[in-house]
Amino acid sequence: MPRAERVDGTEAKQTQDNRSLTSKQRFIAALTRQKADRLPVTTHHVMPYFLKKYMNGISNDEFFDLLGLDPIRWLSVFKPDKSAGEYFDPNHVPGYLEAQRVVSDNWRIEHEQVSDPRYETVRYKFITPKKTLTTILQSNDHTTWVSERLVKEKTDIDIIAEFATQPKCDVEEVNRQAAAYGERGMLRGFVNSFDVYGQPGCWQDASVLFGIEDLIMATFEDPEWVHVYLKIIFERKRTYIRSLEGARYDVLELGGGDASSTVISPEILDEFVAPYDAPLIDLAHSAGQRIVYHTCGGMMPFLERLAAMNPDAMETFTPSAMGGDMILAEAKRRIGEKVCMIGGFDQFHYFKDCTTEETRKAVRKCFDEAGRGGGYILCPSDHFFDADVELLKAFADEARRCAY
Amino acid sequence: MNELLESLTRCVERGKVNSKSPYPPDLKGQDGADEFARKAIDAGIPPQEILSNGLIIGMQRVGERFRNKEIFVPDVLMAAKAMAAAMGHLKPFFQSDILKHKGTIVIGTVLGDLHDIGKKLVSMVIEGAGWEVVDLGTDVSPEKFLKAVDEHPGCVVGLSALLTTTMVNMESTVKHVKAKHPNVKVIIGGAPVTEEFALKIGADGYSSDPQGAVEFLNSRCTPN
Ligand code: B12
Repeated sequence: MPRAERVDGTEAKQTQDNRSLTSKQRFIAALTRQKADRLPVTTHHVMPYFLKKYMNGISNDEFFDLLGLDPIRWLSVFKPDKSAGEYFDPNHVPGYLEAQRVVSDNWRIEHEQVSDPRYETVRYKFITPKKTLTTILQSNDHTTWVSERLVKEKTDIDIIAEFATQPKCDVEEVNRQAAAYGERGMLRGFVNSFDVYGQPGCWQDASVLFGIEDLIMATFEDPEWVHVYLKIIFERKRTYIRSLEGARYDVLELGGGDASSTVISPEILDEFVAPYDAPLIDLAHSAGQRIVYHTCGGMMPFLERLAAMNPDAMETFTPSAMGGDMILAEAKRRIGEKVCMIGGFDQFHYFKDCTTEETRKAVRKCFDEAGRGGGYILCPSDHFFDADVELLKAFADEARRCAY
Repeated sequence: MNELLESLTRCVERGKVNSKSPYPPDLKGQDGADEFARKAIDAGIPPQEILSNGLIIGMQRVGERFRNKEIFVPDVLMAAKAMAAAMGHLKPFFQSDILKHKGTIVIGTVLGDLHDIGKKLVSMVIEGAGWEVVDLGTDVSPEKFLKAVDEHPGCVVGLSALLTTTMVNMESTVKHVKAKHPNVKVIIGGAPVTEEFALKIGADGYSSDPQGAVEFLNSRCTPN
């Protein structure tokens, strides 16, 4: 599908002058598989735990500036459709990476603390005229996870289909923030996800709500149901993506780790992942958006399949030391002509307990293997929790020396 | 080899659970591991033979093909489900001591870590190799591991961790268990875990895949 003209014209004007680009231009050059002035270098999500523990609680923006990384700002803003009875959830204070939730009288979201001696535990209730669905999230210092899934019975998906709201993008707000952010860095969003602990990809969202293992088993035992379920999730995302027309995001995320080759098979990818996520990528392109497809586990057996879904970029190229299977040079050879590659850096071994020289060497290795010729953004392969700030500085500094 | 046992092996390999199971599509409507196990028992084949020459062979092939990257996690999950269906018929023989497990492994994902699939996969393949598996689930504290070891004298302990932030809890678990049971063998695994790390924290074994865990158990943890 042809890509719509981008509203900000970045496609056309970037890399006119390669001598010194802004961070935003540098990212755009890489995302469009061109050489920038030097290797763009950034991180995936900057975890609040890390900022609090190691950086005195500074903000995301301050983090990038202080370390000399190319900045990213994550942004997701919804707009309720008042004519459909939607409104912002008055009980919701958006947390890290969350948009203000959109609810309606038929899709109310309430939460309550559950007493648990070990973790902060919160039960969410989705109150609809027919049934109340519940899910439980738990948190520790590092992060949050689902401890009771939302879709407990197969018919629960009909409740989602009938009553869930259809959030759309608040394009004006995105563009206001894009203008304020200017050339500083990359404005990154994600395809709308389920209201609580949602994920961008159709398969990924479905697996978090139903449990990945049960979803895998259901593909064998009740594939028709899995398709109905994925279609419901797909429709909600389709509505959102259509509303992105004119929004000046630099890139939006789709996908998720449960589509990794360490979790599913090529057959499941072909039958249950690609048929839903690929059309969303086409649709995003026709709404003038770029997509990065995220798979934070194994990717090697799936590289061509994922690239065939036509995303602008793919991440996280996780090395085996972190739980993936990446051979960066081989990946570059196989798909580097087709997509921008983001990630590949082993943050487990080179953001902690090593010398700055080792970190620098690891940066050079990534550059040599994937950076030559452009179309590569150096980035840890997903988020990190603990890191030595001096090593992060060395990571950024060495990458800035990787000139084209 | 007996034809029934061959069919049983094939059903485990292909993840064919029972006649109602729609998977794999080319075997739709045909008997699965469930029916062949029943038939094998009815035909008077000794349970030990059904286990060793039917099920264990099937699961071993699955483990090897997974190690060689010929098949993926979902294929192993289905194979394990077929295996479990057949094992259901052998359960009474274990209870009446006609069949004996090679030993017991107490396995779990360590404290703070919710990743379940890898540990489950390892458990299933180990079970398929004739071991009793006591799966403590995820987010298991050192105290809970110790309690299970107390309850299963002579068992082996298996620890899984997928997060670099929870790998440290493997070390505390090993220490906690070995302080009271110095002879208990501990094997660890999980995506970020390495042999070197296993040595460092005093574990006895490491494997990057289920088949390696079976090899460790069969070679280092059986009485003979
Ligand atoms: C699925 C998944 C989840 C699911 C898990 C669902 C479930 N029911 O298990 C959910 C959504 C819960 C999840 C949550 C999180 N996850 Co997660 N997750 C994954 C993912 C995509 C797949 C893991 C998996 O199941 N792999 C398949 C199995 C078969 O592989 P395996 O576990 O490695 O097991 C094999 C071997 O390691 C070995 N093995 C495993 N255990 C044992 C034990 C023994 C004794 C032996 C011998 C061998 C052995 O045998 C297995 C078969 O070969 C990985 C990425 C990846 N690796 O693919 C990320 C990943 C593990 N997750 C990650 C993160 C960061 C998280 C979160 C912190 C995210 C967040 N919310 O901020 C939370 C943590 C929650 C918590 N407290 O645990 C990171 C970990 C980074 C790191 N190394 O620290 C990864 C690597 C993604 C990434 N690139 O960043 N996750």
